[in-house]
Amino acid sequence: MMAQPARLDAAKAGAFSGAAIDRSRPLQFRLDGRIIAGFAGDTLLSAVLAAGIDTAGQRDDGPLALTERFAPAIVPASRGRGPQRPLAMARTPAQDGADYVTIGPDDSRLRSGRLARLLRPARSLGLRLDAQHGLPMPWRTLPGAAGPHAELIVVGGGVAGMAAALAGAKAGLSVIVLESAPVLGGHSRLFGTLDGEDTPDATISRMRDEIAASDAITVMCHAEVFAARTGIVRAHITTVDDGIVSASVVDLTARAIVLATGTVERLPIFAGNRLPGTVGTLEAFALAHHYAVWPGRSAVFATGSNAAYRLAMLANDAGVDTRRIIDSRPRPQSRFIEFSRAYGITQTTGSIIAAAQPARGGPGLDLLPQLTTGGALQDGALGAERLVLCGGWQPELTLWHMAGGASQWEAEPARLAPLGQVDGIVLAGSAAGWLSRQACLDSGTDAVAQLLDHKRVAIAERLLDPIYETPDAPTPVAAADAGPAPAFLDGGQRLSRRAPPEPKGMLSRLVRRGRPAATAMLEPLAVADVAARVQLGQVPPISAGVVARERVAMVTIGREDAPSATTDTAAPLVPDFLAGRFGPSPTLWTLASPDGRQFDVGALLQPDQDQRDPFAAIGVVVRADREMAIALVAEGYGEVGRVLGLRENGRSTPVHLVSAYGAASDAALG
Amino acid sequence: MSQTHVDFAIVGATPQARLLAGLLAGTHGRTVLLQGESHAGYGLPRHLDLSVGAITRPQTWALLGDTVPEVHRLATRIGKRGAASRLDPLVLARSAAGQAALGHVRHMTSAFGLAAEPYRGKALPGGTAGVLLRDAILLQLTSAEAAVDDWLQRQGVLRLAQDESLTIHADGSGLARHADTEVAVGQTILADDLALLAHLTPAQWPELFVRQAASTVLTGPVAPLAAPVLHDLDTGLWVQQQAGGALVAFGPGATGTTARHLAALIGEDHRFEQAGQSDYGRIATRDGAPAVGRLGGTGADVLAGFGSIGAFLAPAVARWLCGAATPDEAAWMGAHLVNRRRDDASPSVRDLGAAA
Repeated sequence: MMAQPARLDAAKAGAFSGAAIDRSRPLQFRLDGRIIAGFAGDTLLSAVLAAGIDTAGQRDDGPLALTERFAPAIVPASRGRGPQRPLAMARTPAQDGADYVTIGPDDSRLRSGRLARLLRPARSLGLRLDAQHGLPMPWRTLPGAAGPHAELIVVGGGVAGMAAALAGAKAGLSVIVLESAPVLGGHSRLFGTLDGEDTPDATISRMRDEIAASDAITVMCHAEVFAARTGIVRAHITTVDDGIVSASVVDLTARAIVLATGTVERLPIFAGNRLPGTVGTLEAFALAHHYAVWPGRSAVFATGSNAAYRLAMLANDAGVDTRRIIDSRPRPQSRFIEFSRAYGITQTTGSIIAAAQPARGGPGLDLLPQLTTGGALQDGALGAERLVLCGGWQPELTLWHMAGGASQWEAEPARLAPLGQVDGIVLAGSAAGWLSRQACLDSGTDAVAQLLDHKRVAIAERLLDPIYETPDAPTPVAAADAGPAPAFLDGGQRLSRRAPPEPKGMLSRLVRRGRPAATAMLEPLAVADVAARVQLGQVPPISAGVVARERVAMVTIGREDAPSATTDTAAPLVPDFLAGRFGPSPTLWTLASPDGRQFDVGALLQPDQDQRDPFAAIGVVVRADREMAIALVAEGYGEVGRVLGLRENGRSTPVHLVSAYGAASDAALG
Repeated sequence: MSQTHVDFAIVGATPQARLLAGLLAGTHGRTVLLQGESHAGYGLPRHLDLSVGAITRPQTWALLGDTVPEVHRLATRIGKRGAASRLDPLVLARSAAGQAALGHVRHMTSAFGLAAEPYRGKALPGGTAGVLLRDAILLQLTSAEAAVDDWLQRQGVLRLAQDESLTIHADGSGLARHADTEVAVGQTILADDLALLAHLTPAQWPELFVRQAASTVLTGPVAPLAAPVLHDLDTGLWVQQQAGGALVAFGPGATGTTARHLAALIGEDHRFEQAGQSDYGRIATRDGAPAVGRLGGTGADVLAGFGSIGAFLAPAVARWLCGAATPDEAAWMGAHLVNRRRDDASPSVRDLGAAA
């Protein structure tokens, strides 16, 4: 059984003592034959990460970190491998005695074998990850069972989603809230409190209580919605029944849908940005807050956003050696920055991570920071066991795009923003582009007002003056040739990479000449991939919205197109496209050859065997079977016994016309 | 505001439109204004530029025989080797009518010296027949857009941004506003479906044209198909397999229809996950043959219904527009005028068309 080296000590962890776990109820389960220890309240993923497994697997170009957004699907070991009832690691509650196997791109049966267990690196799930399309999500291809109906479905249980649910219930609607996390609340805890506001915990707690007290609201957690269109959503829902975890794909219907899907945290673009040891700020916070999981004893933070400073302070409180905060902004100001300075955390501004690589001779990463202007930093390289990254926030518009919604590139915050309307579907909260907690709350309430055609709710961003709170910077982008590891555009299931730099050698350049541009590669793109490509100059800003909508990995649900025309229609004897080919009045003739050969439909008839010019053809075979063929013959050539040349496969064969063709013969031919 | 004049304004973003603009300017010395986003290639493809197609008319094959080598040379000059590749597309059909049409396509292709042979492999669903058209040329000019832009600039083609105005008059002339300049246009050419759908008024809509819903579906990687390009005569679906195994499929109907047609075409062995999609409108001709010439005989020029072969006929269209067409080219264009009618006494040019 594995220990839990990444679990923070409850006595020292402060705010990161693990709100969701019960340390008095230890448990253990198997994954690919390996015994993992955890606590009641853990998910499969949190327990695996707590056990010190931080690597999903290996690609040809290096290992990839195991994260909430990049974790394989699993199935109970007793069911064998395959797509049956797949589960998501991050949405599967850990159960004592459970036994699971992972589903990788190659679905190798060797991962849980004894030999594989011996050879597998201790920190890795051991998946082969070379497939371009990333990890399979098998539930996406399963049909949806008919699920419950409500008058309002709210996708996302953060503060905006909870506000929408309460507004819907207040308006007399039956409401279903679908949340992928184990509990409602979202990520607003990370962003702290402004003067005069409730704490995020107080707001979340109050809204949870109100929702729990409402008969009109049904909450489904562990439920990931992966398709939406007007009137219907499809969700992969995990449930626990009598200690047995199972999952199903369900279609839920409602006349009104609020998409409170939050934001995707952008990944700073540099070589090695998905190596084991890297993690996003939101995920690092959620793992620590809910499960007391923090791999590594030391951490470096690379950010262009103030939220990372708050996380750094909380991590510091929990005993993590927070070595440095590298901020891409030249002179950032924030109350969190002032506090973190008071903590003694070193801050390097106007800088980014240029490259990361596995540390030589130990756990963690060697990091190469550089100035955002491209110059080297005076104090050069540094190392840490964990690198926490924050590349800013992109509204999560995947379901919006699936539902037919549009978006456009906004240059100033460097993000895709929603555009226009979709019948019966409204965005709310940070998915709609709002930043502050109060704006997200109001936006949730307003979304319901929009859907019901009620009086709209005024929404105002409540942000501090930029003099005191520097806005987020665009996602940092390092030079393409700063390190050997691949640079990914996003941290999700897809593995869209930055194109490697052009080789410098003359021979290499010659070999590469003439290859299509990388921008032309057709691959599915997550919304953050598109944002990254805009920043890299690979997608023009004006095309970003179209590309994002077109490249969303659609799951078609609900309305079917009209059925296509049947394909077994009888072939007309003379198809339309032969009209006028052999003069105004061609006639049909039966045809025979001296050797009784079978003819091909489409074979051309020439006036004599020497003629090859297709323009000189005077007829064509239009139907043939073993006994006889029918030809369309130009006027003037139809004559019983007339010998013509039949061109087939480059050869000419003599054939003769047998008789003028009539309807009776047609019936005989079928 | 200063004023200037151009001989032609071309509206369109397809390789056919862009090659036509460059040829009119560079080869024929005309002044040309092109309005069409050069980054159209960032969207999902809506067509392929192939030197072959589901064609049964000898006149069209003969014309292609003249222009394909010319366009191949031009494309490789513009975009180097990556701008064109050779492959063996597979034309397919399940229905009796489709399989009969397949026979006509095969024999007509062979009659013009191109290798076309029945598909003997086992990679097709039961009941499906196929014909491999050997050694076809696939243009990849959308992946070489920067090179095409450079070439257009060298040919002297002026560019009109998408948000700059172009007014088309009833006689085909026009007026464009480019920055601080008014540009008088001698003749406008609506050179792709998007341009036609944007500019044609109901009164100008030719009897020949049919507005059609169409869509493109991108899939995740699947096992190798029977050929890198498939064309289904029964549904009008085109499928191209990318280097990584992903499929791009486009054809008539909404994305659900295209996905269903694709699933039926490639069979159970090639299950796919949809990874992208796009719905749009396009124009088909009622007789399945290309259309050229002036709307109503006196208006703007149009190009429509060319299917996969449009870019390969661009040199012939350019010569015809400049009065330099060969007799065969002039005859082909004359037979394919957009104002042809079903009750015309002139010979039919009906063909299988993009939608079969």
